[in-house]
Amino acid sequence: MRVLLVEDDRMIAEAVRTALGQDGHVTDWMADGSAALGALSLSRFDIVLLDLGLPRKDGLTVLRQLRERGDVTPVIIITARDDVRTRVSGLDSGADDYLVKPFDLDELAARMRAALRRSAGRGDPVIEHGEIRVNTVTREVHTAGNPVTLSAKEFAVLEALLLRPGAVLSRAQLEDRLYGFGDAVESNAIEVYIHALRRKLGSDAIRTQRGAGYFVPR
Amino acid sequence: MRSIRARLLVGLLVLVAVTSLIVGSITYRRVLGETSSLFDYELSQMALSLGDQASLMSGYALPVRPENSDFVIQIWDVFGNRISSPGLPFLDRAILGYSDLTVQNQRWRVFATVTRTSVVIQVAQPWSVREKLAREAALRVLLPLLLLLLLMAVVAAWIVTRALRPLKSITAQIEHRDIHSLSPLAANDLPAEVSPMVEELNRLLVRLAAAFESQRTFVADAAHELRSPLTALSLHLQLLERARDAPDRELATTRLRAAIDRAAHLVTQLLTLARHEPEATPEHQTHTALDSIARHAAGDVQSLAQQRRIQIQLEAPDAVLVQGDADALRILVRNLIDNAVRYSPEDSTVQVRVLHNPRGQPVLEVMDQGPGIASADRSRAFARFYRAPGAIEGGSGLGLAIVKAIAQRHGAQVDLSDAVPHGLRVLVRFPPS
Repeated sequence: MRVLLVEDDRMIAEAVRTALGQDGHVTDWMADGSAALGALSLSRFDIVLLDLGLPRKDGLTVLRQLRERGDVTPVIIITARDDVRTRVSGLDSGADDYLVKPFDLDELAARMRAALRRSAGRGDPVIEHGEIRVNTVTREVHTAGNPVTLSAKEFAVLEALLLRPGAVLSRAQLEDRLYGFGDAVESNAIEVYIHALRRKLGSDAIRTQRGAGYFVPR
Repeated sequence: MRSIRARLLVGLLVLVAVTSLIVGSITYRRVLGETSSLFDYELSQMALSLGDQASLMSGYALPVRPENSDFVIQIWDVFGNRISSPGLPFLDRAILGYSDLTVQNQRWRVFATVTRTSVVIQVAQPWSVREKLAREAALRVLLPLLLLLLLMAVVAAWIVTRALRPLKSITAQIEHRDIHSLSPLAANDLPAEVSPMVEELNRLLVRLAAAFESQRTFVADAAHELRSPLTALSLHLQLLERARDAPDRELATTRLRAAIDRAAHLVTQLLTLARHEPEATPEHQTHTALDSIARHAAGDVQSLAQQRRIQIQLEAPDAVLVQGDADALRILVRNLIDNAVRYSPEDSTVQVRVLHNPRGQPVLEVMDQGPGIASADRSRAFARFYRAPGAIEGGSGLGLAIVKAIAQRHGAQVDLSDAVPHGLRVLVRFPPS
């Protein structure tokens, strides 16, 4: 999935980015509040990890302005401020969760998954669709009970499509989820991943809507 | 004696006692003197009245020692024959007027007179009787005085206790405090002697509360600021644990080391700041050559400057002496040059000048070609943990705070302005030495 990390500390940002990359997520990093808002208006992210003490525009302001313009992207606040008042005002300003520094990378991943599930209206970390069964926590995929090995990008494409069965996602939308700002995108990368997924899960698992994009049938 | 109350009480009581003693003894002596002349008068009156009777009743023996009387009366006729009853162990002759005599170890007061009929009458009274009577009279006078002394002691104790009541109430106020309640003491209705003390105490409390608060925020800020490097440390350690291959491990190790360096740098800066806070104990101040300190400080930063291909131009033509602590001043200059080097673009120049300004003040000037600090942000730039927008990576936010703390302790003034054509110019002016 595509993550926006808003954090003014380069070292922390590097670490989170590396860890999320290892989990197959794409992370864009913004070091100040104004840049974060800019990025959010340019592109769609699956989740935002937001520090509060930011230069130029405070994290809470970023969050409020994001919600004011109707953006419901899940936001997890990651901050060193752990007093109750800040936590409450963070959650009341529209944050989905709150993580206090220093934090554990596994906990961050779990909270991100939980926030995503909630925003997708699901409580269960396991997505079952026809023969396909995807565990978003363990990242295990089964089809008709047999385990399937997917690359991180393939998993990301499948997860994106399975979150809203029937909805068509364009190549650009899928690329958005798979690549950060400045990442080099090969022109036929999405086709390659779709092809691989079809090979592993069966050719009917993902359909093509000519001229529009891809979807998993309901 | 440590108690004011006891001191006042004892002082007052001793005063009262000494006064009473003096008044008493004077009174006693007066009373003795007055009774003595009174008794003498009585003696003479008795002799004279006996003389009148004797002339009437010449030839009769008089009862020479009337009952219940302490007087001894002797009468001689014209021929010197004693006509009073004999056998009395007394004088054979009379001395006219008053006299003191000792007869058989008893002292007597005697008065003798000659009547118109030439009869000699002598009346005597023992001194012991006179003294006993006089003492009784004197004691009658002194007794109320003694009672008064007792009353005065009680009243004095009451007055002293009452006068010291404000001290007691202040004590009670202080007693009920813990270290967190540093609000001023109630200073109304205090006596003139106590109120300056309480006012001073209140001023101290205010200063103490401010220092306490500043320390508290400092610790809170420091704890907060330590969280970022610690988070970085913890995250990079987790990444190291996760690393699957050698390049991953190597990268994680490098980053972990950088995170440790950064945390260590922050802790060092915190310690430096704490050591040079205005409240810290003063260091040893001597005549110190600012120009040579600047040379050393520039040397400290040299390797960083070389990494960034920045030239440090030091201009210190003359010896410039300031009163101060060499180690602290070196930290001040080093921080300024270090900042300048970090914020300057690569391949640029940092200028350091040490000289006397036209007013004779020793001046240190550090100029870089970096982005400078917007004038709106300059006053905040000295605050602890302040980082300007676009600040350098991994800075502690304490550099200028340390500079200011050290400058303050040396009575020096730090000003920020724009360098020409661009960059930051820091001017530190020391008091003329």
